[in-house]
Amino acid sequence: MTTFIQFLITGLRLGSVYALIALGYTMVYGIIKLINFAHGDFIMVGGYTLFFMIPVIMNMGLPGWLAVIPAVLVCACVGMLVELLAYRPVRKKGNNLTSLITAIAMSFVLENLAQAIPAIGPDPKVPYTLFTSTVSIAGVSVSSATIITVVVSAVIMVALYFFTQKSRIGCAMRCVSEDKEAATLMGVNVNQTIIVTFGIGAGLAAVAALMYIAQYPKVYTTMGATLGIYAFVAAVLGGIGSLPGAMLGGLVIGIVQSGANTYISSSMSDTFVYLILIAVLMIRPAGILGKNVGEKV
Amino acid sequence: MKKKLLSLLLALSLVVSLAACGSSDSTSGSSESESSDAASDTSEAASSAETEAEAEASTVEESSDSVEFAGTITLGMIGPMTGSLAVYGTHVANGVNLAIEQINAAGGVTVGGESYELAVESKDDQGDSTECLNAMNALISDGIELVIGSATSGCTSSITSVANSEGVVLITPSGTADALTTEMDYVFRTCFKDSFQGELAAQYAADEGYTKVGIVYCSADTYSAGLRDAFTAAAEELGLEIVAEESVATMTEVDYTNQFTKMVEAGAELVFVPFYYDVTGPYLVPQARSVGFDGILLGADGVDNTETTIPDGADLSVYNDFLFVNHYSTELATSDISVSFVESYEEAYGETPNNFDALGYDAVLVLTQAIESCGAFDADSVQAALADTSVVYEVSTGTFSFDDTGTPIKTGVLMGYSYTEGDDSVTKIAITTLSLD
Amino acid sequence: MKKSETRTRYLVNFLAVVLLFVISLVMSAAGGDTLKLKVVPSIWQCCYLIIMAASLNLVLGFLGQLSLGHCGFMAVGAYTAALISLAFQRAGFYEEKSGPAFLLVLLLSTLAAGVLAAVMGLLVGIPALRLKGDYLAIITLGFGMIIVNVINNLPFCGQQGLGQGSASSALYATGLGFSNDEKVQYLWVAVLMVILCMTAMLLFVRSKYGRAIRAIRDNEIAAATSGINVSYYKVLTFTISAFFAGVTGALYSCCNAALATTSFAFTNGSILNSVFIVVMVVVGGMGSMTGSVIAAVALFLLNYTIKNGAWVSALPAFLQNIFAYPMLVYSVALIVVILFRPRGIMGSREFALCDIPKWPGMIKAYFTSRFKGKEAIRHE
Repeated sequence: MTTFIQFLITGLRLGSVYALIALGYTMVYGIIKLINFAHGDFIMVGGYTLFFMIPVIMNMGLPGWLAVIPAVLVCACVGMLVELLAYRPVRKKGNNLTSLITAIAMSFVLENLAQAIPAIGPDPKVPYTLFTSTVSIAGVSVSSATIITVVVSAVIMVALYFFTQKSRIGCAMRCVSEDKEAATLMGVNVNQTIIVTFGIGAGLAAVAALMYIAQYPKVYTTMGATLGIYAFVAAVLGGIGSLPGAMLGGLVIGIVQSGANTYISSSMSDTFVYLILIAVLMIRPAGILGKNVGEKV
Repeated sequence: MKKKLLSLLLALSLVVSLAACGSSDSTSGSSESESSDAASDTSEAASSAETEAEAEASTVEESSDSVEFAGTITLGMIGPMTGSLAVYGTHVANGVNLAIEQINAAGGVTVGGESYELAVESKDDQGDSTECLNAMNALISDGIELVIGSATSGCTSSITSVANSEGVVLITPSGTADALTTEMDYVFRTCFKDSFQGELAAQYAADEGYTKVGIVYCSADTYSAGLRDAFTAAAEELGLEIVAEESVATMTEVDYTNQFTKMVEAGAELVFVPFYYDVTGPYLVPQARSVGFDGILLGADGVDNTETTIPDGADLSVYNDFLFVNHYSTELATSDISVSFVESYEEAYGETPNNFDALGYDAVLVLTQAIESCGAFDADSVQAALADTSVVYEVSTGTFSFDDTGTPIKTGVLMGYSYTEGDDSVTKIAITTLSLD
Repeated sequence: MKKSETRTRYLVNFLAVVLLFVISLVMSAAGGDTLKLKVVPSIWQCCYLIIMAASLNLVLGFLGQLSLGHCGFMAVGAYTAALISLAFQRAGFYEEKSGPAFLLVLLLSTLAAGVLAAVMGLLVGIPALRLKGDYLAIITLGFGMIIVNVINNLPFCGQQGLGQGSASSALYATGLGFSNDEKVQYLWVAVLMVILCMTAMLLFVRSKYGRAIRAIRDNEIAAATSGINVSYYKVLTFTISAFFAGVTGALYSCCNAALATTSFAFTNGSILNSVFIVVMVVVGGMGSMTGSVIAAVALFLLNYTIKNGAWVSALPAFLQNIFAYPMLVYSVALIVVILFRPRGIMGSREFALCDIPKWPGMIKAYFTSRFKGKEAIRHE
């Protein structure tokens, strides 16, 4: 029984982080249909900003998690810069694949630039631990960080949902994601909408970074690579472009990983994550909550 | 077109400015300035940062600036200086550069009555075996005959046969896989080999009377998997019962709670954890304790320096009973060289050296001693000198001589972390010296 | 095209290929340090990168499906070839890497590598029937990850291999693994392999099969209504592509004295990974086999000379600081290429020796059209 509860809690712990990252991922994907490989590296940027800012904020007598505010700002700026400098010019010229390659290249640029900055360097850094208290559920202790992550992801998901459904800019986002040309004709500023989406997506990455380092307190320059791939898998599993889907996908992956760890083979958990992904996509090609849009002939 | 050029220009200027700020800030010999300087030219190895250290060192060593070098001995160095394994390569490079600075400041290497300056040509293998092989070939074609590298067993294994067939001395500072030096006359190392360390750990467990042991390791890493194999083999021989064995998929794995839940269920009294310090501090130890594992955690040399990766604000009591097998300890040091290495490293780089620093440092000391003893610096003479198993090397990680495969015969030290309740602190302590019966 | 012209083209290409082969033989005979340490290992690496890029081009450029796990097939091939040859070596079938016995083992293990990888390709081809675009991309990515993960955990694929092995990410024993001298000696093997594989792939894309898969790329529904068996052709292309990736794996294990799974991961330090193979195809031009060849060689040279080129040390110091981060330079160079040639170096055209005399005219036409284009914009 303890094993079972522990497996669920670990699954939730991992899954809630994946879910939070996948939310930002799916926003960007939804609008420009680009697998943004650099998204994981936005988390790295957020992680390092937090690493440097938490002590500063705490010296000011404020709670450490407030460092997320500068982190969101830095990440949003980096996200918008990447869009402005790399993605936009390439999108104008090339096709989906050239955009994809630009994303890959940007990911390498961010990772290596971070390594080149002396204050960061290749050594992993360990940030201050936040949310250290634990709650006991059925004899198993749960870190409050896990609970906060789940709550934060749910709140953000709902907020984003209303933002995209009700607000003006959210409406513009949905327009652009459906048909760029038609959106232009309807007077939507496509470029502005895309850059705002990048800002929000990257800002979310900073929030994800906060929750990630609260549970797994280590930042290093290549930390985004694996996280980015898991977030991508989560977003696809849930149905790309769907916010509840991203959340669900993240949790499913966390729980599958943890379950494979506990009950099958701990070193093969990756294999099971991808097998589940393949199985789900074979049955529902557009993901669990994705809409299967028929092709127009 | 104009916009395209403009954005390109902006992107480039961003890159340049960031890289430039990187170079201007290298006060304490930061890793990237060294690797590039070293790569650029050997004579430039003494960069501005290094000359400071050199000046300081020379006052200590009382060697005047008037030393005229008869020539330069260039060592090659290969390691992952960038990429996901960069932390290992840059630390080896730090150790190597420190040793070279000190030796040059002390008057260089004496060969045939004349003193030679040491220099290093550094290559980046990015943690990939093909790149490593390319780097090795390039060094050989530049006429370099003494090479230090690479940091991981996987990369090193791709160049050992080249070293042997081309007749180039290769010293790996941290390639621990047993297979690396066997059958390779020109390949040596300054670290433990996996089997030795795994046996030491198993023997310690048996000596202390533990009967039920567990293993948590990473199958996708040569270091971790190699140690696990050796530990398992030795444990079976010593009659220890391995009650549970769990693994993780990568060395950057973040969650170990499920694995340790199983350890608790299986009733393991001691768990062998062959990982590196970057996961034990923030992840492994706290998570193991959080699921109720209160036995002994036993690591290998990779977990030394865990104290540098304990998060601020974390519960320190969890690190009690976390032990590891190590090469050396400044507390139990029989020679001054360990102590002076740690001091000079802290002075030069502003941080505590780790094993990679120490082993890189030692690789240079071993090579220098071999060069001076044989009075030549061509590969064949140095190889012959190193192959002499009677020679004793006194280096920062202890005193040793090579066995006939080129692996040091060292004694191990059992170290551990101890928590003091009074002032809520964790200290690293040396417990005992270990050797195989 | 007139029949006589076609005949000339075939003749010219055939002669060029023979010349290439003869050059490789001459190089083997010549020897010398630079050749042995730099040139020949580089040619070997170029050879496997070329086949790798071209084989992915079948799926990506001609079938129009994004595959992010191509190195997984290469890993299957590399491990198969290494282990089969190791089994023969341990059985005493050959001692030294020379003589007919060894060549037979080399041939056998290469074929086995290709076949086993092709089986894997078949497995990936099946989900490809139902999924497309990014959904397929993630399946292939996952498949590549699964292969690496499984190899890490197979006891006979680690440490000393086969019966003496244990699960690990590195395989220290292989029956192939040429030394520098053997690479020079067997340079013809690499060159011959490239010639054979490229010829086979070119014939494939020019055959009726090739036309069919291009039709599927351009419009799947139209192709299906025209009577093309879409499922069959998709699976076929994935299988063939994987076969050549497996053959490449065998070449790779000839190049390396030890194998490590990290080399075949989705991304890693070097340019040999699934992502960069995609990069090669796109930079070369999707749907251009010769483009893949050019891009593979060009990107290899860029990567190699960033690290080992003399020109780097001639640069000013601050630039050298940047060049200490090869991936940074590589990435920026990629973005630059994509900005200026978004459709790749070759687009979907092919390079042909016989077209060289037409080049001056084409270049002139290119510039006049560009100039005119600008004029037109200015007049607006």
